[in-house]
Amino acid sequence: MDTIRRELLGQIAKLTAGAALIPLSSVASAGINDQPARREGDPSKRYGMLVDLRACIGCQACTVSCHIENEAPLGSFRTIVSQYEVEHEETGDIATFMLPRLCNHCDNPPCVPVCPVQATFQREDGIVVVNNEACVGCAYCVQACPYDARFINEYTQTADKCTFCAHRLDVGLLPACVESCVGGARIIGDMKDSDSQISRMLEEHYDDIMILKPEMGTAPHVFYLGMDERFMSRPDAKPAIWDVRDQQGEEIGYEFGSH
Amino acid sequence: MNSAVIEVLTPRYGIAWYPWAVQYFFMIAISYSALLLTIPGLLMGKRNYQALAKVALLVTVSCTLVGPVALLADLHQPLRFWHFYANLTPWSWMWLGSLLLPLYLVCVVAYAWLAWRPAMQEQARGDGWIARLSGWIVLGNWHAPRWMLVLCGLGALVMSFGIMLYTGAEVAIVKARPLWHTHWLPVMFVFTGLVAAAGLVILVNRLMTGNDEEVNGQSLKVIFGSMVLAGLVAALWLAEGITGFSPSVEAAFASLQGNPEWRAVAVYGLLVGVALTLAAAWMLRRNGNVAKAWLAGLLAVHIGWTFRWMVLMEVQTVAKNTAGYYQYVLDMGSSGLLGILGTFGLWLAALLIIDILVPWKRDLQVGTH
Repeated sequence: MDTIRRELLGQIAKLTAGAALIPLSSVASAGINDQPARREGDPSKRYGMLVDLRACIGCQACTVSCHIENEAPLGSFRTIVSQYEVEHEETGDIATFMLPRLCNHCDNPPCVPVCPVQATFQREDGIVVVNNEACVGCAYCVQACPYDARFINEYTQTADKCTFCAHRLDVGLLPACVESCVGGARIIGDMKDSDSQISRMLEEHYDDIMILKPEMGTAPHVFYLGMDERFMSRPDAKPAIWDVRDQQGEEIGYEFGSH
Repeated sequence: MNSAVIEVLTPRYGIAWYPWAVQYFFMIAISYSALLLTIPGLLMGKRNYQALAKVALLVTVSCTLVGPVALLADLHQPLRFWHFYANLTPWSWMWLGSLLLPLYLVCVVAYAWLAWRPAMQEQARGDGWIARLSGWIVLGNWHAPRWMLVLCGLGALVMSFGIMLYTGAEVAIVKARPLWHTHWLPVMFVFTGLVAAAGLVILVNRLMTGNDEEVNGQSLKVIFGSMVLAGLVAALWLAEGITGFSPSVEAAFASLQGNPEWRAVAVYGLLVGVALTLAAAWMLRRNGNVAKAWLAGLLAVHIGWTFRWMVLMEVQTVAKNTAGYYQYVLDMGSSGLLGILGTFGLWLAALLIIDILVPWKRDLQVGTH
């Protein structure tokens, strides 16, 4: 009886002290622009994606299915496949390079600590999401993302981004882009599970795996296989589609003319 | 292996911060800078700076009132502004700003209220609706001791340092945009803010108080000093990029490499900067020239605003991830030209309402020092 009571009192004391200390310590430990604590999601998982560029044919099925699944406004994309034409300067040989882009669900996401109202946050399973009922639309996160993975949704007037289709993952489905990829180039999975396909492939191709903009220190969790390092950061390329201008220098022939 | 790459397909990424942001950064920088100009005359009670303090206080209050309106308008969900206060987020610079801004505003308004109060109490003794309104605004005939003004002034000053810090840091921490990511940016915001504030003081002095030469002279000195310091900062920033001392500044240069428009901007910036510095020096050398200070004032305001336009708007057209630059076309509506004109219109309205209600040209509440 005595021990039980002592234990009970101990538990209560811990709970009380804990309840009082947790919020304070989380504030104290987070300096300005430090990552706040993660919340929601399954802490036993860490979702990541491997994009096997060897299997990507640039068909944009992922772009379209994501657009339909997530109802992004016309002209705004949660994922897109950038396409490049690469010409060998000596031989004149031409190749096409495809680069699917999406949110990197970084381990050090620069978009999260900037949010002034905690509307954007990282789940315990690593997925970076936006609560668009809390979002004030300040667009600070849009500026902070080095990957242009975020935009202000013109319908909701709040920040919008790829969520790895968290709503599908949570009920055991695959993200729309993964589901629709004809070449099976997008592999999503739990990186904490050493037996998952993504873990096995990351291990197998360890030396060939690349991430985008490593110099940003964001620790992206979208990995690329079959990547060319010239495309890791802003590519040194000619922007073909923006060069369609009339004689007055005004841009023509682009249908999403709004800013 | 040498290869030529053409980007065949990529989406257009939009502008996320609208010209409202430029308006806020412009107004708030003038506000805290003009506040500094009131310090010697009003807070420290120095006689020969009181004319400057009168004009500067008017500029401070009008800009402090209008700045936050522009900031609110830059939110895509302005009615959710209360979310800032419902979620304590001390790790976000923007949240810290949302805390500092209202405190700063209250301090500035209290400081100005106490400074203008004796003249308004006197005005309240007259007839007519302005006198009656003045009677309500001064909240009674009691005498406010000078320590109250000093306390509010010091409070506003402390808060203004917070505003300088947060507005600069908020932008400078954005690593994703190398052109922003430099510790020199907050410093540059302050110096160009001082230039613009002194310029606006000169213009208001010319249009509303009869071109007081002392005010012009003191403001020109501020412009000259701030321009020299701004030039020094720009040179240090350049040096950091050229030597590779700062990889981020180096990346910033690389992001603009070979762009003729940005080169033209750099040349233009250098030209107007040198022109203003030399003009201020020339006007200060001979007393007769000070009357032409309004020309320097116009140029100073132009530099303060254009610097913010380039930093906040044009930098957004530099692609982060893809090739080339985006073409930003100024929208005619409220997220573009109308917003810019609207902010200036609101500022003018604030200025005129204060001018009608407050006898701000009369003596301020200052001690005898």
